[in-house]
Amino acid sequence: MQSQSLGRRYITMKREKMAHAWTLAKRNKGCYLFLAPYAILFFTFFILPIATSIFYSFTYYNILEAPRFIGVQNYINLILQDEVFLTAIKNTFVIAVITGPIGYILSFLFAWVINELPKWLRAVAVVIFYAPSIAGAAFSVFSIIFRGDAYGWFNSILLELGIINAPVLWLTDPRYMMTVLIIVILWMSMGTGFLSFVAGFQGIDRSMYEAGYVDGVRNRWQELYHITLPSMKPMLLFGAVMSITSAFNVCDVPRALCGYPSTDYAARTVVTHLFDYGFSRFEMGYASAIATVLFVVMILCKKAIAGLLGRVGT
Amino acid sequence: MSEMDTVRSTGTLQLPGSKKYHGELVAGETGAAFYLKGKQEPFVEWNYVRMHRMDNVRLGGTTSRITVILKDETRYIFELNKGLKLYSHMDKHWTDKPVTVITKAEELRRLAELRGERIEKPKKHLISRRHPNRSVAGDILIYLILLLFGIAMVFPLVFLVGSSLKPLDELFRFPPPVWPSHPTFDNFSDLFVTMGQSWIPFSRYLMNTVFITAVGTFGHLIIAGMAAFVLAKFDFPGGKFFFGVVTTCLMFSGYVTGIPNYLIMSRLGMVDTYWALILPAFAAPIGLFLMKQFMEGLPTALIEAATIDGAGRFRIFWSIVMPNVKPAWLTMIIFSVQGLWNTSASTVIYSEAKKTLVYALNQIQAGGIARTGQSAAANVIIVSVPILIFVLSQSRILETMASSGIKD
Repeated sequence: MQSQSLGRRYITMKREKMAHAWTLAKRNKGCYLFLAPYAILFFTFFILPIATSIFYSFTYYNILEAPRFIGVQNYINLILQDEVFLTAIKNTFVIAVITGPIGYILSFLFAWVINELPKWLRAVAVVIFYAPSIAGAAFSVFSIIFRGDAYGWFNSILLELGIINAPVLWLTDPRYMMTVLIIVILWMSMGTGFLSFVAGFQGIDRSMYEAGYVDGVRNRWQELYHITLPSMKPMLLFGAVMSITSAFNVCDVPRALCGYPSTDYAARTVVTHLFDYGFSRFEMGYASAIATVLFVVMILCKKAIAGLLGRVGT
Repeated sequence: MSEMDTVRSTGTLQLPGSKKYHGELVAGETGAAFYLKGKQEPFVEWNYVRMHRMDNVRLGGTTSRITVILKDETRYIFELNKGLKLYSHMDKHWTDKPVTVITKAEELRRLAELRGERIEKPKKHLISRRHPNRSVAGDILIYLILLLFGIAMVFPLVFLVGSSLKPLDELFRFPPPVWPSHPTFDNFSDLFVTMGQSWIPFSRYLMNTVFITAVGTFGHLIIAGMAAFVLAKFDFPGGKFFFGVVTTCLMFSGYVTGIPNYLIMSRLGMVDTYWALILPAFAAPIGLFLMKQFMEGLPTALIEAATIDGAGRFRIFWSIVMPNVKPAWLTMIIFSVQGLWNTSASTVIYSEAKKTLVYALNQIQAGGIARTGQSAAANVIIVSVPILIFVLSQSRILETMASSGIKD
């Protein structure tokens, strides 16, 4: 009896809610018209690709023949047979774990320090730190800096100082590739999140700091933890999302600097692997499985970080 | 607000870029409001908690021009017919105590003056807003670290510009100089003159990229702006859900969706056309996201007032909302330009004549060591455009980014 009446109540509630939503929707018809152009394009070029990607990941598809359903075979091959994928996963993971958090923390700390500079100096500093990531292709200058012969700038410095006797092949020797890549990616990591932080610091209510001085916040670190971080939470989450995105989507940098494919696949990342299967071998089903794995990992990462940030400053 | 604690004057209210509104400003103890002539409901109203600072308020006298700046950087400029004597309290609240001081520093200065103490002019510090809980040693250390990192960040760009200006003999000198001793523009002229006679002239790549960037950015601004407007200012079923999906899609870069995107493009017959690059750019999630977050700071009353005046939704969007969110435009422009300008488009465009600058750069680099100078020059051209746009619009962009947070 009890549950039945509860169930009925639930249904009436649902129905009322639906009716309310319907009136709201009718009253705001024009809104859908405004949203439509964006929504259609967004659906076509963002949602549909993700959905098709998940669909094709369960098929064998080489563009020429119709896709053939093969269940989770792609995923099994990916994990059990594809050694290069394991290298790619390992590299992506190393890059993401090192450049993601370090880049994120550095961009936060730099934004924090820059915030206390006088206005004109702050503007200069923001440009200097943000320029590498906005400049896109600028990273290819590292192919001159780290060039493998004696005319490479880094080699020449080391030769001059007598640290090495012969030029080192920074970009083609598997021993050094990852280190160089990580340096370059870190150089580019003051991205959108950094801007968001700089702006967020300027928006914090200054009276909160004054209240903090009265309450005995003794040094800058206490102030950072107890006042600054909690008021920056939304920016921190935005920055984290942008940071995860760039850390897991590393692709252009290794392709341009270390060659494609790189020696011994030492600079292969998940996304270059995906490119290889998708656009060189046309194994679309397999490439889609790689993409799907990447989606899932990124969404889980975002959830984890949102959970962590929820606890900051409490 | 009781009658006792309020001060009031008729005058005009102006938001930047929009027309003036005539009415009456009423300021009370906890907040202030602006009433349009003959209206009972306030046109805009805020409490002091939302207020960031006030400008143009003259000390010790009456004030007829007040700028109120809220924390979300919304600015209200009031021109009042009758000078208002603003009564201020220590904590900036208007009360009946006649202390016409706005900032705490001013307050202390005036108190000292009253007691007849010698007033020292505040010294101008290099670091202007010194917090009392900072140690000098810590400051020095931190700025030293900042300086070092700053040099490290800027070095590769300086090296790039240096390389593009090097004559051939300096490119292959040992040890390689960072900055050339005889700078020359030969590399740049080579790009346009020597390579101008090749199969596809360099200027063609440049024009392709300019075209794609301009059209893509313009369309993105309008289409994402319209969507952001309704998402930010109207409550309709599905709106919140849609925005949630867009926020999640911030994470998926073009690489991950590259393959299915290619399949869709080929279905639509857009492979090897500019549209393959332009249309997805119209729907870039980051632009919608930032625009929507920024538009939420616009006073809803502004839109409601225009609705009452009989303006259609598109007119409100076009002549009231868009002029008021200029900072957000600039931010959308910079992100859109950054994405489009740096696209290599190697997967969706085959015709050499339609390729982009970054693709051309990759080709030049593939030409090997002999092309080092030209590739640096091409790179400088590519890099300078987004950086220049950013430098010119920095302050507006930061204004937008202040509302970029994700509330989870």
